[in-house]
Amino acid sequence: MSSQVTLPRLGQGMETGTIVRWLKSEGESVEKGEPLYELDTEKVTQEVEAEASGVLLKILAGEGEEIEVGKAIAVIGQEGEEVSVPAEAPAAPKEEPQAEAEPEPNAEPEPKPQPEAEPGQHAASPNGGRIKASPLARRIARERGIELSSLRGTGPEGRIVAEDVERASATGAVATSATAAAPVPSGEVEVVKLNQMRKTIARRMTEAWEAPAFQISMSADMTAAIRLRESLLARVEEGGVRPTYSDILTKVVALALMRHRDVNAHFAGDSVKLFPTANIGIAVAVPHGLVVPVIASCEARTIPEIAVARADIVSRTREGKLRAEDLEGGTFTISNLGMYGVERFAAVLNPPQAGILAVGAIEERAVVVDGDLEIQPRMDMTLTVDHRSVDGATASEFLATAKSFLEEPGLAL
Amino acid sequence: MLELSYREAVRDAMSTAMRRDDDVFIMGEDIAEMGGSMGVTQGMLEEFGPERVRNTPISEMAIVGAGIGAAIAGMRPIVEIMYQDFTTLAMEQIVSQAAKHRYMSGGQIKVPLTIRTQGGSGWSPGAQHAQQLEAWFVHVPGLKVVFPSTPEDVRGLLWSSIYEDNPIILFEHRTLYGIKGEVPEEIEPIEIGKARIHREGEDVTVIATGRLVHESLKAAEQAEAEGISVEVFDPRTLQPLDEDALIASVQKTNRAVVAHEAVTRMGWGAEVAAVIQEKAFDYLDAPVVRVGAKFTPIPFAPVMEEWVVPHAKDVLAAIKQTVGKE
Repeated sequence: MSSQVTLPRLGQGMETGTIVRWLKSEGESVEKGEPLYELDTEKVTQEVEAEASGVLLKILAGEGEEIEVGKAIAVIGQEGEEVSVPAEAPAAPKEEPQAEAEPEPNAEPEPKPQPEAEPGQHAASPNGGRIKASPLARRIARERGIELSSLRGTGPEGRIVAEDVERASATGAVATSATAAAPVPSGEVEVVKLNQMRKTIARRMTEAWEAPAFQISMSADMTAAIRLRESLLARVEEGGVRPTYSDILTKVVALALMRHRDVNAHFAGDSVKLFPTANIGIAVAVPHGLVVPVIASCEARTIPEIAVARADIVSRTREGKLRAEDLEGGTFTISNLGMYGVERFAAVLNPPQAGILAVGAIEERAVVVDGDLEIQPRMDMTLTVDHRSVDGATASEFLATAKSFLEEPGLAL
Repeated sequence: MLELSYREAVRDAMSTAMRRDDDVFIMGEDIAEMGGSMGVTQGMLEEFGPERVRNTPISEMAIVGAGIGAAIAGMRPIVEIMYQDFTTLAMEQIVSQAAKHRYMSGGQIKVPLTIRTQGGSGWSPGAQHAQQLEAWFVHVPGLKVVFPSTPEDVRGLLWSSIYEDNPIILFEHRTLYGIKGEVPEEIEPIEIGKARIHREGEDVTVIATGRLVHESLKAAEQAEAEGISVEVFDPRTLQPLDEDALIASVQKTNRAVVAHEAVTRMGWGAEVAAVIQEKAFDYLDAPVVRVGAKFTPIPFAPVMEEWVVPHAKDVLAAIKQTVGKE
């Protein structure tokens, strides 16, 4: 019996993916576990393995095509087997509320029944208007007044499962049908199609813009932090990872977050989630984009340990070898543009996180100390917070703590 | 706490009851001098004598029939059917006599009979000695069916079976006799019809019996490594079923897998799946998946036997199927 290869969901929030390259061609045999295709998801590009052995009978999704999670992209089966391609679900979901309950009487005849279906595996049938959703998903949708036809199923065989309804309910988002791209006059204008990552950035930054955010800034004397780094560098073993100011900052911010947990939070509509650990996302630039891999539990790691984790995650980011889980679970983000010579900037929130810290370069500045002019290495920090969950006083206290830890690391003890 | 093997736990429940009550006696093929074909009754002849540890002719119908008669006359007999495959020969006595007398006499006649039997695959006993036939008996009103999976459970449930006033058939699994486990110093009766949750979880409930309880615990551990939290639910008693505990568990996890060694088709798991959809339909986030043997006689060849009956990997695959991580 042939089995369909469907587009997997490789991480929370993944809704579509683009097949970069098929690693097998039609008619070629595949073993379960062998890499079958390269998938560009919203965040990473990775090889996906075959889930069944047999012959790749048919490729349903071409390279470069953007596919919804759960859609069939290929069929694997026995040599010589005939492939029945499931009919596409209607592109535009019906608007009538009753539509889901009534199967269309004149629906196309089902493909001839398989001799013996495996338990739990339905032959995909042209769905004649019936929406495939689990009983639990239906109940939650009914209770919250969510239209099932507006949702996209990510369960087995494209079934709408409870998680899909919960997600729609949390974001208040009701998926709209993709409108056709407006024709763009050609000529001099170069049209660059957004890749998955660009689309994700666009979507998430637009989402962030809905949050009533505000910024506060402070500048820190980095004399002690520089000394700390020197003493850490003196202890680095041959070939070991050298701690950077970013690593020190990550540690300091994590410890400050533990003392101001309101900032180590997600804003979740009708609640705020306060996290027990500081899982810090580090904004990393990649060609044509940006990703934010996460280092978990930074409050519990030493600076050298953070350095090792950071070096690993940054190098894997640049090599395109991030796994979906590297990008999940962040509770706060740090964005550092100091290496580009930026003195200060304001970062846009990384929702649902309640805060993000933007850090500029360390530079020598003239500072008045006790009536005298002094030259100090200073670094500006700008904190952006979501005002729905964090107020000015809380934000200031957090930033003041981070600043005091940088200026006098002993206070963090 | 005391550590006993499953085999010792069965023996201990019987011997303790026999020391306490003269009404309790055991009867079966080769259970006296030989100590039973699985060694369960070893030493009991020496302790209790041939009056109370009785060898029988090779006639399952006579063994059960004599047990029913003794039970009606006021004894609490324990009869052993050497392999559950041989219950076929005693079906008339079990189904039409033992299960019916209390009902047909308007409650005047009680049949406090315990039928112990064992079986199952995993050691190449061949098609006539490897079946799991519990589904036949749960279908008969008037019979209670017990299938314990640990030393503690078999000791407590056999004890409760001996002192139950209705006929009970208790299944033991051949491959479980050697497993060891902690049991209370004194026997603690376990209520018939009460399930046990071996491991709590959030994402999916695996309802498993007998050997598959242990396979499911292994699968749960592997699933955990992949981020799936599995609840392992052992009903212990197949009839009556602890529906309250079952439904509570499925309402919590929203997904269910039923796993037993018997063939899937028309198996006990089919009934469990039906109960779940009747009573927890609005809580289900995925179809209930069944795990069981393929629909074929159990082959003799070890590799073929291995292929036909389910193991931890099959339970794991079902778990992943229900949570959509195939």
